[in-house]
Amino acid sequence: MANRPLQLTLNGQPVGPVDIPDDLPMIDYLHEYKNLTGSRLGCGQGICHACVVIVDNPDGTSEEVRTCITGAHYFEGKQVRTIEGHAKRDESGQVTELNPIQQRFVDEFAFQCSYCAPGFVNAATVLVEKLQRQPTVHSKLEQVIEDSLGHHVCRCTGYVRYYNATRNVLTDLGLVKEG
Amino acid sequence: MKLFLTRLALAAGLAAPVLFAHADDQAKRGEYLARAADCMACHTAPGGAPFAGGLPIVSPFGTIYGTNITPSKEHGIGLYSDDEFFAALTEGKRRDGAYLYPAMPYTSYHLMPREDSDAIHAYLKSIEPIERAAPVTSLSFPFNVRLGLMGWNVLYGKALKLEPAEGKSEAWKRGQYMVEVLGHCGECHTPRGLPGAMELDKRLTGGILNGYLAPSLLATDLAARGWNEQDLATFLKHGMSAQGTMFNEMFPVFHNSTQGLSDTDLAAMATFLLGDKPPAAKALVEVPVDKLGPSALRGRQEYLNVCAGCHAAGGEGKPHIAVAMRGNTTLRLEDPRNLVRVIEDGIGEQKFSGFEHMQPMPGFAGKLSPAQLTDLINYLRQGWGGQSAELAVSDVQKLQAEAPSIEHKAH
Repeated sequence: MANRPLQLTLNGQPVGPVDIPDDLPMIDYLHEYKNLTGSRLGCGQGICHACVVIVDNPDGTSEEVRTCITGAHYFEGKQVRTIEGHAKRDESGQVTELNPIQQRFVDEFAFQCSYCAPGFVNAATVLVEKLQRQPTVHSKLEQVIEDSLGHHVCRCTGYVRYYNATRNVLTDLGLVKEG
Repeated sequence: MKLFLTRLALAAGLAAPVLFAHADDQAKRGEYLARAADCMACHTAPGGAPFAGGLPIVSPFGTIYGTNITPSKEHGIGLYSDDEFFAALTEGKRRDGAYLYPAMPYTSYHLMPREDSDAIHAYLKSIEPIERAAPVTSLSFPFNVRLGLMGWNVLYGKALKLEPAEGKSEAWKRGQYMVEVLGHCGECHTPRGLPGAMELDKRLTGGILNGYLAPSLLATDLAARGWNEQDLATFLKHGMSAQGTMFNEMFPVFHNSTQGLSDTDLAAMATFLLGDKPPAAKALVEVPVDKLGPSALRGRQEYLNVCAGCHAAGGEGKPHIAVAMRGNTTLRLEDPRNLVRVIEDGIGEQKFSGFEHMQPMPGFAGKLSPAQLTDLINYLRQGWGGQSAELAVSDVQKLQAEAPSIEHKAH
């Protein structure tokens, strides 16, 4: 396999161009080249979604992409956020404030072993941002959460605390209207 | 007198089990024949009771619903005599005299011998009646006038004639019956003309179904795509072989029908399809990276980006996850239609015999631009399909535009 240059924006910072193998999976690039080890390699076959990152599209929407089955070069020129990019940090890089989803997941003990947590945080963050553009209504809330988080696999908590915490964040942020 | 009565009682006692045994045998034989004829496919709705009907069959003329063929007297075929059942099966004629739409493959079943029809009927009479009406088929004018099928039937109802079997092996003859009549493979694998009838001069050369190609089953075409007898029989038995897995409309055929057929019959089907003297399966010549065309070379990177995670960088696939691209029969088809459709639609999780399964493949509709999709397809076809010509973006866009407007459930 040959090397080819990759350039992208990672957690708001421009990266590259850097020569990396043309068949390098994105999860390996994050772990081995960027030391961003928060995205988890779970099943390695696109099922568990522990490895997802967020891609911000030019039209203002965002989506999750599984890095275990997607090559790093797929992200050429794209805006990518990983779990390491959500919290606010001080100048020394220390975390000063978690994002609302992260904080709520901690407060409500949403995860246990935490292996799936980065994926759930990214999925719920995408959902929060989506509803910030277009809020939902109470009658659809359960389904909206199921549609957004349902494809993530958790083997410890049974999902209930993840779902409850997400519902509480969305409600507190005023993203769930009457109806 | 007493002796006579005793003899009579003995005779009755002996005769009854014999009669029942005959009926049981007939129903059992009928169960196998119904499986080979894949009655289940159209006469069972997803998640519904077996043979209770309700499956919507989308045709160019509108949606036709599979009927309830359980022995319910009110909603099924409980009142059918063997004669009436035979007429329905082979002439497309309902008990009340109305004509069935030729979604019912009487155009193939008309070559079924009476004893097989009776056996299938015996089996269907033995199953649990389901007292539930299947949705009524209601096509728009003029297709709602079933009488119009009278003329159609004169022209096409019994037009299928089998290839003469003189000089052929017994396996070939059995395979011909399994493929052409019971399996009614030609109903999908044959192109259809304007009146919706099979173009029998192009029998088994491939047809289009819900936007997908049911590929040619001609021996030379099968061999060109890498098929031999053993792999064909394995494919029918297990739904997968070195050439890939069954997907789309063939997946339920595997589940409902071919996986439950005897090894002898499956081998016979392969013998018929490839012939008593099968042509040699064409060896695949892989094109090295430095010999790829410009589009295919770009497509290689698309493949590494979004396909190699499951199908592997070298195209060897991953067991129980994703099929190999190397040697995959769909890549070797000259017509790229199925590649376009599968990449756009994806394939749902597939369960096969035993614990075997393949994971869902995501659909890439809207995720790849027409140019990216074209590059990717050119790479797959050149790299592992033996197709040297590069498709233009417009070729792929044309196929994209031909996607069925209905929501299609990919398997």
